[in-house]
Amino acid sequence: MGSDGFEITINIIKMLVIFLMMVQMVPVLVWVERRGSAFIQNRFGPNRVGPLGLTQLLADAVKFLFKEEFVPPASHKWLYYAAPVLALIPGALAFESIPLSMPIHVNTESGAHTFLFQGYDVGVGIVFVLAVSSLGAYALLLAGWGSHNKYSLFGALRASAQMISYELAMGLSLVGILMLFQTFDFQRMVEIQRGTLHFWLFGKEISLGFLPNWGIFFQPLGFVLFATATFAETNRTPFDLPEAEAELVAGYHTEYGGLKMLMFYIGEYGHMMVASALMVTFYFGGYELPFYSSQSLVEALSQSMSSNAASIVGALLLHVVFMAKVLFFLWVFIWVRWTLPRFRYDQLMDLGWKTMLPWALANVLITAFFVLMAHG
Amino acid sequence: MTDIILFYFLATMTVLTGVGVVMSENPLFSALYLVLSMTGVAGLFFLLQAPFVGAVQILVYAGAVMVLFVLVIMLIDINKSGEKYIGGNAAALFKGLAIGIFSGLVSAVVLRSPIVAKPALSNGSYTVLEIAKVLFTKYVLAFELLGIILLVIPIGVVALSRIKGGTHER
Repeated sequence: MGSDGFEITINIIKMLVIFLMMVQMVPVLVWVERRGSAFIQNRFGPNRVGPLGLTQLLADAVKFLFKEEFVPPASHKWLYYAAPVLALIPGALAFESIPLSMPIHVNTESGAHTFLFQGYDVGVGIVFVLAVSSLGAYALLLAGWGSHNKYSLFGALRASAQMISYELAMGLSLVGILMLFQTFDFQRMVEIQRGTLHFWLFGKEISLGFLPNWGIFFQPLGFVLFATATFAETNRTPFDLPEAEAELVAGYHTEYGGLKMLMFYIGEYGHMMVASALMVTFYFGGYELPFYSSQSLVEALSQSMSSNAASIVGALLLHVVFMAKVLFFLWVFIWVRWTLPRFRYDQLMDLGWKTMLPWALANVLITAFFVLMAHG
Repeated sequence: MTDIILFYFLATMTVLTGVGVVMSENPLFSALYLVLSMTGVAGLFFLLQAPFVGAVQILVYAGAVMVLFVLVIMLIDINKSGEKYIGGNAAALFKGLAIGIFSGLVSAVVLRSPIVAKPALSNGSYTVLEIAKVLFTKYVLAFELLGIILLVIPIGVVALSRIKGGTHER
């Protein structure tokens, strides 16, 4: 938590702010999703309330708050209420452990402090994120079983089967990048991706100055597999069979309305944010700008302001860079959802077990070979 | 200070939910209590400066094994399986035996362990690299054997389901 009162206070505020930031992104994303889908399908989308329909978000929030509180009589009350809360937790826990910008170094009267630009650092980075996001299946299972509705139960069963199947492919697709970086720590991964593309092969150093040293150039197959697996993990189209409207009404959240429904939404968008942040951290250099490292940014800033201010302003600027990259991938999520049709269930399982798993294993083998050659 | 508060919170949660696993009549609730209990154990691992073990505890047990348990319990008819298996002399005998064995184990562990636990490594923490080194050099045979045992299970299930009378009979 920190060594003295100042650090503990700042760290607690930081955790709260990051959580609220995640929650506050959701209405904006809902708006982008509705306008974006309209744009893709040649419609208008919400454009009546306020400029560009932006105050539609406020109207939606009011609607969510004042909707009738309804509990299906046959449902299991305790589980029915617990499920939406559980849906929020994994996304929030995972998002808090991802570095959103570079650490801030501050000198005060009480000494030098370093604050990580993340909720907390558990020390095992990606393993922790994978662990807590694997708990996401419970929210869907409990929602499906607790609301005592056949459609809900079917949705929940589909969702959990899908999440378990794709977790394997997701984990294996990450092994390649972990072997390359040789660390679980996000901060270290971002540091490795600084500068321009350079690597060792058969004892020779190869450098390509016109490309940044990003993970995507070392692991293109791994990235494709990871992106596909995260689409399945977040239950987004083309993998949204758990809530296939044509067959299951709305899947596991059929019986939910109002604020409880909104919690599932926040959970889903939270998962999307975690997935995008992971893609950025692993494959697109995290919070670092290409060709312009964070150290040189802080040095340039500290010429016109104090070192404390330079550290804070630099971190905030790099946070904007990080969020810009994350927003791009969030847009990709929305783009894909409104472009691709849904898979059939057997196609989904075939893709997960018979296509992605072998390719992920092949990726591990190939990466292992090249890592061995490089370090040989 | 925060460590002590967290320890008592997590320990209480782990023990209470552990009791819940045994006491609940609905098997689904037993499974859900077990998930909470395992999460509590994972939290204790985090407190002991073993984040990797804690994360793997959540990933493997709470995240994968228990999801399958919950899934299967949801699929079977919950009303029939809600019957309580209590009562009868034979049950009382086994309960008495189980209590005896368990309390014997616990008291033996408590009596034989030192008051202040020694850290596993000299500096009190470890890295994943050190675990990997030990796992792939000193204990490589045991590690690989465990992998084969786990592989036997899915192959066995497939083989069983395909014999005569099985669900996927040829």
